[in-house]
Amino acid sequence: MDDAAIELEKLSHTYDKDPVLKHLDLRIEHGEIFGFLGHNGAGKTTAINILTTLLVPTGGTAKVCGHDVVTARRAVTRSIGYLPAEVRMYGHLTALENLEFLATLSDVKKPRHAAKETLDFLGCSDLANRRLATFSTGMRQRIGIAQAIVHRPDVLLLDEPTAGLDPLGVRQLRETILQLNQELGMTIFMNTHLLSEVAKVCTSIGVLNHGELIYKDTIEATTRRFPDEASLEDIYVTMGGAP
Amino acid sequence: MITTIFSHQVLALRRQRVLLVLVAAILLATALAGALGWSSQSTIVRVFDEATRQLAASGAPAPPNPFLLKPHLSLLSNMVVYIPLVGALFAVILGHISIADEESSGLGRLLFSRSMSRAQYTTGKILSLALVLAGLLLASFAVSLAALLLVNQGISVADLGRLSLFYTLSWLYLVPFALIGMITVLLTTSRSLALLSAMGAWLVITFAVPQFTSGLRPTQSLNPIIEPIGLSQAFFQATAKAQPLSIVEQYKAASAAILDTAPSVAVMDTVARVMPLLGFVAILTVAAFALVRTHDFSRSASHE
Repeated sequence: MDDAAIELEKLSHTYDKDPVLKHLDLRIEHGEIFGFLGHNGAGKTTAINILTTLLVPTGGTAKVCGHDVVTARRAVTRSIGYLPAEVRMYGHLTALENLEFLATLSDVKKPRHAAKETLDFLGCSDLANRRLATFSTGMRQRIGIAQAIVHRPDVLLLDEPTAGLDPLGVRQLRETILQLNQELGMTIFMNTHLLSEVAKVCTSIGVLNHGELIYKDTIEATTRRFPDEASLEDIYVTMGGAP
Repeated sequence: MITTIFSHQVLALRRQRVLLVLVAAILLATALAGALGWSSQSTIVRVFDEATRQLAASGAPAPPNPFLLKPHLSLLSNMVVYIPLVGALFAVILGHISIADEESSGLGRLLFSRSMSRAQYTTGKILSLALVLAGLLLASFAVSLAALLLVNQGISVADLGRLSLFYTLSWLYLVPFALIGMITVLLTTSRSLALLSAMGAWLVITFAVPQFTSGLRPTQSLNPIIEPIGLSQAFFQATAKAQPLSIVEQYKAASAAILDTAPSVAVMDTVARVMPLLGFVAILTVAAFALVRTHDFSRSASHE
């Protein structure tokens, strides 16, 4: 496949004259698990908002599976699954109803079947008929992942997926990410602060600092490049990822 | 896609039990209008019967029953007041809750990262609101009909037509208030501010604007003379000309003509009174589409 899973060229975005992304160039191949690191306010969520077509970039281009986020919005939204930092769905609806509704909005032909299949795949069929308002953060996160993959996208965009999870939840999420990548072949793009998780899950990383990409390489190459650092956290600090 | 948004919205309202509360309140208001109408009628009839007895005792001829001179639908004349007060307020609330979740809790981020277009979303939302309002009014129509059948011992086809037309006009009157409820969510930064703004708009339309149009001529309500304003009173002339802007007054006047509770009015005059209302609905619909199209749903939650 010639097209990259995600390709950003000179991508820029400005909020009220404040540049948040500055000429970002990034290419992520299919099958990668990419960890996007950066301090708060670095522009990670803005990048995801552009990739999800929620924001129109003020400069440059962004493509998902070869489709431009501005000119081919519908094709892009079919190719992506998105898990926001805080998972909010309709609390008065059951998990199955939420998934069925969101699957329909993603042009899934048999939304109910797809919703049930996804819950089965994630091992949470027992939550199907419970209303979301009664769910814990961990449960909600699992349904959040279910909604993101219910239409079997090629690329999964996760925005701070470990936020608010306990250690067991973090471990479950890690296993789920690996399962999605290995069994369904999804490319994962993950915004995160949790460097330990990046080291355990990601195949490559990028570091964003004040809207500029200051580093991008595979985890192996990164470890080789910084042999004196004990952990990814030390590497991150060394390369100036801290604010 | 539009059908999905539409059916989801109806299900959501039903699950939140808001709809149940609104139906109950509207039915209560309708029943109250019927009861007040019946009470007024029975008082008149009782007084008439007593007067007839006294006149008969003194050998004088009895005048015709005054109630027979009143239009049958006057029993429901209070509904013309309840719809702009209670109904419009409920329409604002319905419009508000139909979109507030998606805007303020970040649900919009999930919805608009999918294949659905914003135009489809807006169409589905507006259609569902229009249908829910139609359902509310249909329930009220049923209670009104029951009240009329009970009190008047029957209803003519013409009156049934008038009643249907009145409820259709009422539906048309409520739709813009639901749109106001939606639009204020998109224009403000918090749910509470959105609801407050929508309530403010309802207050202005229902109470303030009529004060600046016909309300500035208080003597007219006591003594309805044809030309109460002197030529020198430019301000009053201007406000009198602004009367078509008051959709409440237009609604009340058109309703009175339809229910036959006002002096005979030409059909074209009644149609002319509905036109500002149609214009208001059209403007708000266009505004709702434009605002949803340009609204930044990514900023409903924190962003970097």
